[in-house]
Amino acid sequence: MAIDGLIILDPAGRPIIQSSYTTYPAAYPLLHIEALNNALAKALREGSVDPVIYIGELSCSSACCHVEVGGMRFVATISGDADPLIAFAFLDCFIEILQDYFGIVSVATLKDNFDIVYQVRGHFSKETLDSSGHPLTTSPNALSDIVLSPSLISKLLASVSPATPGASSFGSNGAGGAFTSPIPWRKAGVRHNHNEILFDIVEDMRGIVGKNGATLVSNVFGKIESNAKLSGTPDLTLTFANPNVMMECAFHPCVRLQKWTRDNALSFVPPEGRFILADYQYRPPQGALISNVPMPLSLKANMDMGEFGGTFALTLTSRSIKVMENLELKFYLGEDATSAQCTLTKVCFATSSFCPKNHSRQTLRWEILNMRSSGSWILRGSWTSKIKAPRPAHAFQIRFEIPSYSFSSLKVDQLRLSSETYKMYKGVRMRSKGSIEWRW
Amino acid sequence: MSTQQGQDAKFFQRGKIEEFRAELQAAEAKDKKYQKRKTVLKKIVANITMGNDMSPLFHDVIQCIGTPLLEIKKMVYLFLVSYGRSKPDQIHLVIPSFLQDCSDRNPLIRALAIRTMSYIPIPVVTEALGDQLRHCLKDRDPYVRKTAAICVAKVYTADPRKAERKGFVELLRDMLIDENATVVANAVAALSEIGDRQDGVIFKLNLTIANKLLGALGESSEWGQIYILDSLLRYVPEQHADAEMMAERVIVQLQHANSAVVLTTIKALLYLMNYIGDRRLIDYICRKMGPPLVTLLSSGPEVQYVALRNILLIIQRRPTVLKNDVKAFFCKYNDPIYVKLAKLEIMYRLAREENAREVLAELEEYASEVDVDFVRKAVRSIGRLAIKVEPAADKCIESLLKLIETKVTYVVQEAVIVTKDIFRRYPGKYEGIIPKLCENLDALDEPEAKAAMVWILGQFADKIDNADELLDDLVYSFLDEPAEVQLALLTAVVKLFIYKSQSEVTKALVHKVLKWATEDIDNPDLRDRGFMYWRMLAMNPAVAAEIVLAEKPAITTDSDRMDRGALDQLLLHTGTLGSIYHKNPETFIRNAAGRALIDSPALNANSRAVLVTLARPQLPPTVISVSGPGPVEPTRPSQPGEAADNVPLPTIMESSRSDERDLLDIEGDDGAGGDSGEGYPDGDDDGPVTKAADPYASWVVRLVVT
Repeated sequence: MAIDGLIILDPAGRPIIQSSYTTYPAAYPLLHIEALNNALAKALREGSVDPVIYIGELSCSSACCHVEVGGMRFVATISGDADPLIAFAFLDCFIEILQDYFGIVSVATLKDNFDIVYQVRGHFSKETLDSSGHPLTTSPNALSDIVLSPSLISKLLASVSPATPGASSFGSNGAGGAFTSPIPWRKAGVRHNHNEILFDIVEDMRGIVGKNGATLVSNVFGKIESNAKLSGTPDLTLTFANPNVMMECAFHPCVRLQKWTRDNALSFVPPEGRFILADYQYRPPQGALISNVPMPLSLKANMDMGEFGGTFALTLTSRSIKVMENLELKFYLGEDATSAQCTLTKVCFATSSFCPKNHSRQTLRWEILNMRSSGSWILRGSWTSKIKAPRPAHAFQIRFEIPSYSFSSLKVDQLRLSSETYKMYKGVRMRSKGSIEWRW
Repeated sequence: MSTQQGQDAKFFQRGKIEEFRAELQAAEAKDKKYQKRKTVLKKIVANITMGNDMSPLFHDVIQCIGTPLLEIKKMVYLFLVSYGRSKPDQIHLVIPSFLQDCSDRNPLIRALAIRTMSYIPIPVVTEALGDQLRHCLKDRDPYVRKTAAICVAKVYTADPRKAERKGFVELLRDMLIDENATVVANAVAALSEIGDRQDGVIFKLNLTIANKLLGALGESSEWGQIYILDSLLRYVPEQHADAEMMAERVIVQLQHANSAVVLTTIKALLYLMNYIGDRRLIDYICRKMGPPLVTLLSSGPEVQYVALRNILLIIQRRPTVLKNDVKAFFCKYNDPIYVKLAKLEIMYRLAREENAREVLAELEEYASEVDVDFVRKAVRSIGRLAIKVEPAADKCIESLLKLIETKVTYVVQEAVIVTKDIFRRYPGKYEGIIPKLCENLDALDEPEAKAAMVWILGQFADKIDNADELLDDLVYSFLDEPAEVQLALLTAVVKLFIYKSQSEVTKALVHKVLKWATEDIDNPDLRDRGFMYWRMLAMNPAVAAEIVLAEKPAITTDSDRMDRGALDQLLLHTGTLGSIYHKNPETFIRNAAGRALIDSPALNANSRAVLVTLARPQLPPTVISVSGPGPVEPTRPSQPGEAADNVPLPTIMESSRSDERDLLDIEGDDGAGGDSGEGYPDGDDDGPVTKAADPYASWVVRLVVT
């Protein structure tokens, strides 16, 4: 009952790298690959294949969990009644590590660095999955202890003496800190010349606005992303000026939950490097409806549907006090759309691309790189379609970013360090983004 | 690094056995710091990755095992893991090295050695592994101990009885109180794996050990936490208080950032709630479970999908969970289709009088979308909503009529199908819309829609003036129709005849159809039904009328409820494959052991009433397998739909039409997919619950050791 292997498929569905399925018949990985490719081929459009595909042939009864990255498919095969969430967490983590190592994960980078991928995969599945596929560690921090980073490998290869730093981590002190350390997420004996910890408060608004312009649902989900480079065993206490704006919090295992329940302070010994300290949902101030956070923009759409096409006039108005960036509005014109023209009132971009058979292409994109806090932007245009009664999407997808802003105005009050004596650099940044579906 | 990358690409070349052998031999001389060997081994490993068979190099590669360089050792071990099992005649050559490495100074090498050995299920190796493994289970280094724990599971897989005789299971049990949390977690994982085998020892926890494990929870990695939380299902509380205490200790884990931990925590809580007596605590836990489930929906689509399938099960058993959160399941246009369909089903389940308006508005929105599948399900959900929430029925009918006016064929067809059920649910209330439906008769080309329309025509033939004309038109193509439509036509024509037996037209019509059904059709169902009608009508038309027009059992949403006992059982698999497919794993996963609630004084009465027992001593103590071609299907009852269709009674046949299928049921399997409108009343103590037959029991021998 566990993850029994990993396969990476190129965009054409051919395997690039796969685990050696030693305890399985040779056809086992092939069955998975075939089942996945069949499902993908059958899919009418992208993203319509169930992420967990059950395979009952050849009495192997297993399933493959797959995600798509850079055109490739990363497939984790699981046998028995395993938890698919573990497989997805495993894939996410694996991909994250590859991204850390190579920057971009693509067919080319994987092929060029196959030995590193294989090492990562090998160690990763050995150390994290262990021999029968039980994940044990997927925290990248703990992994870096066991898996050599590319720089260490190159050092190893270049070095004449086996006593390089890389090798010594495998030396007589053996498994290293990760398993002997009293704190499972932190290795023992970390030293930095410069101690710092950075927090990024990232809030993401997700909402749906109905036809009448009223917000149906809008929620803000926040994350406190942290990057710690601290020596020793730092015991930190983070307090907020307004902790009551957070609800439904979920924490990294390092956070002492009782302390949070008692005095709304985050007390923790952080892992090394990047980690997500907490997830929360924004609780709007008293009186406001939950799940109804005000939208930072408004859209007025005048749609006129005719035969073989239609015209539209979109007016986008910012209601945010901050500048919005990289605003993008997408409008799917329907599979029979053939062309679109539009005129703009202010400096921004609108593109529409057409490519038959590709759902994502018959889409009008309107981009506003920098949207000041007041004023309106107008886009007028028309589109044509092959069929008499065109069926465009009945919703616009809007994405935006608001730098140095948070919906909740969550404010860090203090960060105290105990158990260590050094001074550390502390930093907090805010960032917000949103994705809204606006129906018409 | 760049030159390195260039070289690496070259390693991907096939058919190099001889070359590699020569290189390895050459490397034996003047190999400064083993660089040459390392390079060759790397190429060999690269070829293994590619799936190229490198086993002919076995003899050459194992020569390198003694090299005092960890990197080379690792690669040789990797090679052995790949090909060791296929070389039973040569494997003895490696054993001395294995044994030496098992007592190496470096814990990493010790662990590597036992791990590799456990991968090679060849008697010589297993024999040699035995003693080493016993030592390693007590190694002073936690890394070796945790590796050894997992190796026991491997050894057990190879030969369960032998592993038991050697006392490995007891050694593992002792590791449950190890000081290192990772070791504890691995021991739990290994024991769980053993306990999940059909032929494995039964792994149960007592209160003391369960409490100890909970104590280790805080220090474990997230995966360790998952194993520990999952193992709580192997603890059977004897008193309400024990279950309550445990639930209170577990509930903080809902605040974990890892979605798998959250879902496993929910599984443990759902399990413990069966043994909790305090209703207020149950309500409290239900309230606490909602928000983390909603939070899972802010993750990627894959995690959302897993979460949604589980939520669907959870809200059927505990309807108060997420009771007020229907908005969280509103679909977005660019959600993947599998997420949309799952959300739609949950919206339907969460719909009540209070939120029916919002839900209906959403469903109408979806019915105007582009995706055909989704639109169909949305239209169907509108009809199901009308059946489920009576006060909303008027609005739903209005909206269905509006949809029928769009004349989009697939929308019209779906609307007709659900309207049929609405007629049955609210007899005498909405028949006024029949003329509207008749206008669209020509648009119906799918069997299900056509059959539904034919049913309406037959059932209300007395109220439709030109029913005979309409049916006459439809009967025109009788012989070309699919069986589903033919059956519907046959019954409808008979009904028409009973209503209007004086009319010559109907007489001719029924005669024609009965003759076709009995003489020109090969389908036995249709033929038998034809004969039966014919004889009834010939012998005693009055009785025939009574039978054919008998009052139909009312449609309720009860029919799409999942059996409570089966639900209780499925929820023990929360988060796993079984919960995604809504089937018990032992029915579709080889070697999976079933799970069932276990009776104890603390188990609440209603769960006990529907208790599904796995062990059935009165039955033959072996797996019954049927020989013959094709895979043996797991034990399953015949599906209700089929059963009904084989019974030649018109009334029953019609009631089978009302079966609603799980919208998301991939396999189209009614057995598991019976879905529920209301869910089970949360009160574990209200109303008797009938014990239903256990559809999933698989009868297996279980060997109990210790």
